[in-house]
Amino acid sequence: MTQIVPLNKTTHRSLKVDGRSSAAYGDNRRFVQVIVKEFPQLLVHYPILFSKDPKTGQFYCGAMLGFDEDENLFLEEWADRDVYRPLMLQRGPFYANGPDLAIDLDDPRVGVEGGKTLFTDQGEPTRYLQSIIWAFQDLSPGVEMTKLFIERLLELKLIEPVDVEVECDDGTIRRCIGLYTINQDELMRLPDAAVVELFRRGYLRLIHHMIASLKQVQVMARKKNSRLLKATEALARTHAPAAIG
Amino acid sequence: MKAGGLSVTLIESPDIKIIGVGEGTWPTMRASLEGMGVSETALFRECDAAFKQGGKFAGWTTGAADDAYYHPLMLPQGFSQLNLVPHWMQEARSRSFCDFVTPQGKLCDDGLAPKLITSPEYRALANYSYHLDAGKFAPFLATHCTQKLGVRHVLADVVQVNQSESGDIESVLTPQAGEISGDLFIDCSGFSALLIGKTLGIGFKDCGDILFCDTALAAQVPYATPDEPMASQTLSTAQEAGWIWDICLPTRRGVGYVYSSRHSSEEAARETLQRYIGPQHRDLPARKIPIRSGHRQTFWKNNCIAVGLAGGFLEPLESSAIVLVELSAKLIAEQLPANREIMDIVARRFNDVTMYRWGRIIDFLKLHYVLTRRTDTAFWRENVDPASIPERLQELLKLWKYHPPWFFDEFDRLEEVFPAASYQYVLYGMGFESEARPQDTIDTELLAARLRQENERQTFELRSRLPRNRELLNKIYEYGLQPV
Repeated sequence: MTQIVPLNKTTHRSLKVDGRSSAAYGDNRRFVQVIVKEFPQLLVHYPILFSKDPKTGQFYCGAMLGFDEDENLFLEEWADRDVYRPLMLQRGPFYANGPDLAIDLDDPRVGVEGGKTLFTDQGEPTRYLQSIIWAFQDLSPGVEMTKLFIERLLELKLIEPVDVEVECDDGTIRRCIGLYTINQDELMRLPDAAVVELFRRGYLRLIHHMIASLKQVQVMARKKNSRLLKATEALARTHAPAAIG
Repeated sequence: MKAGGLSVTLIESPDIKIIGVGEGTWPTMRASLEGMGVSETALFRECDAAFKQGGKFAGWTTGAADDAYYHPLMLPQGFSQLNLVPHWMQEARSRSFCDFVTPQGKLCDDGLAPKLITSPEYRALANYSYHLDAGKFAPFLATHCTQKLGVRHVLADVVQVNQSESGDIESVLTPQAGEISGDLFIDCSGFSALLIGKTLGIGFKDCGDILFCDTALAAQVPYATPDEPMASQTLSTAQEAGWIWDICLPTRRGVGYVYSSRHSSEEAARETLQRYIGPQHRDLPARKIPIRSGHRQTFWKNNCIAVGLAGGFLEPLESSAIVLVELSAKLIAEQLPANREIMDIVARRFNDVTMYRWGRIIDFLKLHYVLTRRTDTAFWRENVDPASIPERLQELLKLWKYHPPWFFDEFDRLEEVFPAASYQYVLYGMGFESEARPQDTIDTELLAARLRQENERQTFELRSRLPRNRELLNKIYEYGLQPV
């Protein structure tokens, strides 16, 4: 169901791509992979956590977007306001093809009426495509850098499982499993040499970004609760008896 | 080990080969290795290790083609809350006891691994231990102990043992490394029992009158294709004069016939093994290993402790050899006497516990034989002769007719080698008759129903989630397991 071809300014001159996120495009996911370079932008909106790739068991960094399966609490915000969207979602239907780009022609974002063009009449990248090119300039080396960051944390035993548990106003409890965060006890116990090394590598800053971002769980929970409330109110309206004049 | 001012020296003969057929372990091994700081990923990659989820015993009860039962490593559901045996007897006696109380038999039938690639090292979704290549495991551990734990490894032969007047061992003499002295000596010299037997004169308690098997023929059988499915249970198939083990390692199968030379000639035994392995491996060599079932009369004498084969050996029916080494090592580490003065007190306690453990293992191994209904050969007929059954076991069998074994009764020792659950699996796997009285079940029906549901749910969930054994091993080779 994928048809990935190298991007070409001749054949793809008039191709249009919808750069927005939407549930229709499969962006209704509760967790998305991120890279360390994004942490400063991410931490003001999303909890940044670790999870494991179910196929390989390897750790990766990700931003939490929702509590339930197929729930992305940020889809509307992304449409309405200029809230930072993780690169893995910005990339849309594009893939790295060595130093160049490739595109999945079967992706539902491709060929959408009202989408954005990729090339100008002169064959130059449009602003939209340029943003994708920049995204990949960060993404390709960024995945590798994030991997090194994780490896070092594992060696220092700084990763531990975390139970993200939220009690909603409707009385239900959302429990997200398979998530990991910084082990703060181990962090406090680190020998001086390791602390300096983490600082010099820029890892200490990232570690604190991750710790600080955990506060976003509560913000997301409020968002979730106000949605539940809206849904209940809507339901109540539908079933309300007609007003007696 | 340098910690706490302690230093450990291992003296190993460069010429004496290890026995190297021990391929089965007990789940204690996971805690032992984790405690030593060994990477489980490295164990899989370097020791040809595979998952073991229990034993499957074929042909032990009647010898019929469909006669088989599991002794899985998972405890029955809610084992510490409720004994499910009476409930099983009342509701589902015609069904397998194992399947009534645990998913693990089904997981073994399906060839599924006990965990996922996302499960951290040493963590399990279904309890497991390892099948491994002992010939690779020993040097793997030696490297870890010398490089990470500061153990000194000396390749030398002990030619003389020097004792003080009290009989304590002061030093051993080696041509290669001179005289090596120590405060405490652990005799790991194998069957020769150089220190505990030859030097300190501790006798051997033979138990060949209880466990008849005294010889093993061991072979290594290649797979037809490298991706042939692997089982994670030790298959033990009863034969005319003993039983055949069949263990899947990633690279080959280990197959061997353990038999009683009183009941079978070597020629007949070789034929039996050949028949089991099949005609496609006509000329596979089978190494003959004598088994002297029994143990030392004392394990800790003066300042010397016998561990491993120097302490004793029993037929490998339930992989008890390595677990006893682990338990002894743990006990020594935990109880290590602060000085010579109190050593005899610690020694007495060590001897009590260790003697008890050997006794229970002998009982448990014998249990597999006494429940047989086979009468086809003298081997099986003689095995049920009361004269060959330890008194304690006879008494228990009488008790279990009315009180199925469970968590609390009888097994009160710290770290029982085989928990009461193991006795349940063997007893009710082999059709042992216990009487179920209504008062045993009436008050606990709700809980039993809930545990039964939980078992069905867990069985379904694990069967749908777990990968096959070889699939997971290949992923471990490629990606490794994570430490958390």
